[in-house]
Amino acid sequence: MSIIYVLIPIAVIFVMIGIAVFFWAVRSKQFDDLDKEGFSILFNEKPASTTPPADSTPPSREP
Amino acid sequence: MLQQRCFHCHEPVPASTDFRCEVFAETQVFCCAGCQAVAETIVAQGLSDYYKFRSKAASKANAVPAELQAQLNSYDSAEVLQDLTQSVGDAQRIELSINGMSCAACAWLIERQLQQNKAVQRVSVNSGTARCELIWDAKTAPLSQILGQISELGYQASPFVADVEEQHFQQELNAYLKRLAVSGIMTMQVMMLAFGLYFGEFTGIEAQYEGYLRWVSLLMTLPVMAYAALPFSRSAWRALKARQLNMDVPITLALYYTFIASLYATVFDTGEVYFESVCMFVFLLQLGKFFEFRARKQARDATSNLLKVMPVSATLWDGEHGTATSARRLQCGDHILVKAGETIPADGLVESGVSSVDESMLTGEYKAISKQAGDLVLAGSMNHDGILVVQVRSALTESRLGQIIALQQQTLHQKPAILEKTDRIARFFVQRLLVIATFTFCAWYFWIDADRAFWVTLSVLVATCPCALSLATPTAVTCALAQLNRKGILIKNQHVLDVLPKLSKIFFDKTGTLTQGRFSLTDVQIFTPLYDKDQLLNLMANLEQQSEHPIARAFGPYFVQALPLEQVSLTVGAGLSALYQQQALRIGRPDFCGLDPQDKRLAGVQVCFTINGDLAATVQLADQLRPEVTTLIPALLKRQLKLAILTGDGSAAAPAVAQQLHIDELWQGCSPEQKVSAIQKSVQAGETVVMVGDGINDSPCFHAAHVSVALDSGTELSKNQADVVLLHNDLQQLQTLIDGARRAHRVVRQNLWWAAGYNLVIIPLAVCGFVSPYVAVIGMSCSSLLVVSNSLRLLKA
Repeated sequence: MSIIYVLIPIAVIFVMIGIAVFFWAVRSKQFDDLDKEGFSILFNEKPASTTPPADSTPPSREP
Repeated sequence: MLQQRCFHCHEPVPASTDFRCEVFAETQVFCCAGCQAVAETIVAQGLSDYYKFRSKAASKANAVPAELQAQLNSYDSAEVLQDLTQSVGDAQRIELSINGMSCAACAWLIERQLQQNKAVQRVSVNSGTARCELIWDAKTAPLSQILGQISELGYQASPFVADVEEQHFQQELNAYLKRLAVSGIMTMQVMMLAFGLYFGEFTGIEAQYEGYLRWVSLLMTLPVMAYAALPFSRSAWRALKARQLNMDVPITLALYYTFIASLYATVFDTGEVYFESVCMFVFLLQLGKFFEFRARKQARDATSNLLKVMPVSATLWDGEHGTATSARRLQCGDHILVKAGETIPADGLVESGVSSVDESMLTGEYKAISKQAGDLVLAGSMNHDGILVVQVRSALTESRLGQIIALQQQTLHQKPAILEKTDRIARFFVQRLLVIATFTFCAWYFWIDADRAFWVTLSVLVATCPCALSLATPTAVTCALAQLNRKGILIKNQHVLDVLPKLSKIFFDKTGTLTQGRFSLTDVQIFTPLYDKDQLLNLMANLEQQSEHPIARAFGPYFVQALPLEQVSLTVGAGLSALYQQQALRIGRPDFCGLDPQDKRLAGVQVCFTINGDLAATVQLADQLRPEVTTLIPALLKRQLKLAILTGDGSAAAPAVAQQLHIDELWQGCSPEQKVSAIQKSVQAGETVVMVGDGINDSPCFHAAHVSVALDSGTELSKNQADVVLLHNDLQQLQTLIDGARRAHRVVRQNLWWAAGYNLVIIPLAVCGFVSPYVAVIGMSCSSLLVVSNSLRLLKA
């Protein structure tokens, strides 16, 4: 059972990391608009090269 | 025949139009040129994914008129920009408020469109608040270009300055989120360790492991006590300093007592620990507060576009040329040019030009007033059809609009106070609890068993822990808010639910609240055999489409089909004329149409229509009652509520409405100040007053009443100031609101009875030492659970 002397502190460290990440997420405004972030995964990340059609050739459409 | 729907906005496609565009390799039809243009832009920019994933249809896109572009250009003036933006390094930061957003896909669409502009450094659109934060290089791309890009997608963006209070709300919400995370994550950890200790209790646990688990729990509880529970202890401390007792006092007391007892037990290796209870208690309380706060913030954001009513830009006029400037910089004596469709940026005297002006935002009066040289015009009113040159009389802050806003700020602090019920109960309860706890400790310490005194007192405090009592109101309020929110009733102040069950009197504004606040056709007479009624109305609507006048807008619903009109010309304040299939059409006032005003066919008629000089139709218009009002008023009277009408309208229309609705009390021709004093009189007479209104002139009295209700169709300022906003523009929801508040009130009472009753039973047992702390914890949790689940019933109602 003495393994808990090692495992619990490790768990505590993970908890700290989790909380730190959450604080960072709040600070970087990821919780300001939950609807939009949920949508963002649906849309294709289009590389910037396709968008201004003038300065690059549009890539061929997938069939 | 199957009605075709517009691919973009899902509105029916009118017959005999043909707007098409290729989307996803299929030809789609559109209802108008605006929607078609938007779809073309979306496809051309490679953003057609929008159509795949949007959850709601877009709002109908109107083609961008040339004047709008001109208005956008006025934002490029250096002075205007300086007032609206902050500098971030080389770039400028601005906040935009966006009209026409319907779902999160819209936010994505706008972001993508703007990201393609090289000048844009950062863009973030919030779909919940319909705001956009933009950081861009103003030197490479003028603001008008960016606003133009947004309007190409069918949205209207306007610069916006968030008020300080709102930024404060956002910070507060973030703080809530962080505290919630700390208490939630820590609760999970501590609970896990607590289970180890529970099992150890039954099956035996070696003392070293027990001590170790306790120390780790203590470590994990520390941030909860030191960070997440801070708001409670701060509020309790403030109350104590003011020699008051509020609900946070017993909460803080229980938290610290339990924590210190557990700390003592851990350090000296004796007794029991309750770290998991401490964490759980903080987490549950934070959760309730967080949801309540978020609901209120959303309600605020949805309505707080205050500065949108303040005119942003103005055109300075030197006799030949106009230069754009910021409205705030206008000074007495400046000459300004106001074009048709613009908001007048300052109070002043008309120097030249003729136009009709809509002052409804300020006076509640919807009829356009015609203005000519020498007349006074007010800032914030809308110039309909002519061009005016105005000499500025006072700066924006000293204008009538500025004064009304100032009056409103003054009344803000005069809100009738109602002591919160839970605080009253807390005061009653806490005093007695403290007395009982002290008494128990002394009795056990001095007379019964000094060793057990500490633990018996602990079980008294834990058993009577005001968990259930303190959860009773917030949970019920949160559930009621959420439920009413879903029905389209936004509640911005929590006290609304407290006050409404005691409601005794309702004040209604007339124009725009009881009535629709716009003209509609009440009677149409036909005098020509050439066309039937529908054709004539369509013809008239085609003509009137050229005008911005409120009377012209009444014809909007009758527009079915576009007709080829030639030589359309508009005479300000009189009417319109045009050629259609070689026939001369005239619509407007009888004298404009060349008719004899004495003609008895024209009695009571506002609009005549002639074809080749012969009378073809006459139209009567009036501001009609909202359809739901006729059923709402009797229902409210049946509830024994007193009703009154409070209107700025001095005409005979006001008594007519009052009589029609059987409302006895009528205050007519009131200025905003008189409205405030009328309500204050009622409040002083002991009534609990609700004010329902929609205009800027109503907003000062919103603070004089106990509760204020605005309609979503009302002005931004009134929505911003009201406690409640009815989103569906349906006054019938007033009843839903009152019922909802009563239901919430009932549940709160049940909860309080339960919590108090439970305490009354458990206190004597705890004082006598029959309740071990473990039993006390179980009892406390059960009674809290019961209270929470009782409140959850409100969600289903």
